[in-house]
Amino acid sequence: MSTDTDADADVEADADTDTGSDAVPQPEVSVHRTRRLEEKEARRTDRAAAEQAAEESLADEETVELKVFRYDPEVEGKEEPRFDTFEVPFHTGMTVLDALIYARDQYDSSLTFRHSCQQAICGSDALFINGSQRLGCKTQLADLNEPIRVEPLPHQEVVKDLVVDMEHFYDQMEAVEPYFDPDDLPDGELEEQRQSRQNRETVKMSTRCIWCGACMSSCNIAAGDNQYLGPAAINKAYRFAMDEREGEDRKQERMEIIEQEHGVWRCQTQFSCTEVCPKDIPLTEHIQALKREAVKNNLKFW
Amino acid sequence: MAEHYTSFDRSGRRWLLQRLTAVFLIGTLAFHFFLLHFVNHAAEIEFAGTQARMGEVGYFSMMVLFLVAATFHGVNGVYNALVNMGIEGTQKRVVGGVLTLAGVLLIVQGVRVAVAMAGVI
Amino acid sequence: MSETYNRGTVEDAGRWTEFSAGMWAWIFHKFTGWVLVGYLFTHIAVLSTATASDPAVYNQTLSGLEGLLIVRILEVGLLAVAVFHILNGVRLLLVDLGIGLESQDKSFYASLVLTGAIAVASVPTFLAGAF
Repeated sequence: MSTDTDADADVEADADTDTGSDAVPQPEVSVHRTRRLEEKEARRTDRAAAEQAAEESLADEETVELKVFRYDPEVEGKEEPRFDTFEVPFHTGMTVLDALIYARDQYDSSLTFRHSCQQAICGSDALFINGSQRLGCKTQLADLNEPIRVEPLPHQEVVKDLVVDMEHFYDQMEAVEPYFDPDDLPDGELEEQRQSRQNRETVKMSTRCIWCGACMSSCNIAAGDNQYLGPAAINKAYRFAMDEREGEDRKQERMEIIEQEHGVWRCQTQFSCTEVCPKDIPLTEHIQALKREAVKNNLKFW
Repeated sequence: MAEHYTSFDRSGRRWLLQRLTAVFLIGTLAFHFFLLHFVNHAAEIEFAGTQARMGEVGYFSMMVLFLVAATFHGVNGVYNALVNMGIEGTQKRVVGGVLTLAGVLLIVQGVRVAVAMAGVI
Repeated sequence: MSETYNRGTVEDAGRWTEFSAGMWAWIFHKFTGWVLVGYLFTHIAVLSTATASDPAVYNQTLSGLEGLLIVRILEVGLLAVAVFHILNGVRLLLVDLGIGLESQDKSFYASLVLTGAIAVASVPTFLAGAF
């Protein structure tokens, strides 16, 4: 302390010389400084102690049991599907995807699954969790009963572990021509194609589809009949057929696609699609609307 | 996917007819059950009573319509259940033909029975 | 149909917990439908033989059948099957018209309950004089 005082005295002396004002009494300043330094040191030790306690408590923290489907035709031992169990430390707000990433990073780097945005918008991580199709990033571990069973989407070929072949799903989506395609463009070059608020409301929910494939996986008819377009594709058709900006002719063409035998008519209103959709799209309602449209359409030709 | 259908094959037509026959059948099936199990007890039914009922033109025609609607609804239902289970191609066409034939035969035989019941030999 | 891994046979009761109301409704509607179609053909066949000759044969056939206890019990079953198919059918018609989609699972349970109630209520009438 005396050293500090001397140093302070030197500094203050210089300052005095420069400014010419009366010097603040040395002991008070150094006491404040000392106090501040002591408090800072105390805070530092407290923080270190807290971190230490947290780390120690991690060892006996709550864990969650995850049973994950494993399958790899190229690896001996995984040619026959099996379930691997992972104990994953739990923290509030943890999702199934978080748990899977932890398991992959800490336990088994060969664990394979699709994921990207982690915020329910890319549609990559649709999985079969505890008996129901859900997005991994949107499913809270706290909401599930243990052991948590994670399996690939049903009714689709498994490529490896939790990755399924999505080609059939994409084929069905492409089949309904899922792009905005108006009959005519407006006259002026920079003129907008406007949509009424009501029309927007009509199609609003159907625009939310993220192509995750949960709905098609949950549909028993899609499982049995390979040619069925499926709820996602028909919803896409709805999104465009009901959009007033496209025009009557285009709507007719779209209706013709979904009016075929393996289009809307295959839907048996099982409602599973509506239940599992992570974007809360009322899929069955939209399919029913298209059935009614098709009937009204056909009645005109009698 | 993009096969050409004539307007007669449009599945929309069969879908609608399935619903229309359904509505009709709700009434007639409930009526049929009521008449033959609650109004008359099934064990007490004999030919004289049957003939009396079937002799009335209104009742007779309702029964025939009942038969036609039920046959269409049932056979179409079976066909759709099979399509949902995934039959396709030749098998589908053959099954469709067999079912149609069975339906026609059922209606023909049913009408013959109805006529016999009405006492018109 | 795409091949998937074997998730266990459907007979494993555990898988049934994965079924939803709408799925059960579809399964039951199909099942009762098959039964009713089978009955329709049988019914016409039986009536054909019964009306093949004179009225006495008709009366004998009917009373003979109605005299069998098993037939009486099957008739109650037939009633239950028909009533469920009708009630769930009404639910499906409403869905087709766009009515009541929010409560579609509740309406399924309602049709199940009503079917049970009607079947039970009809037992006295159906089994009268069978014993």
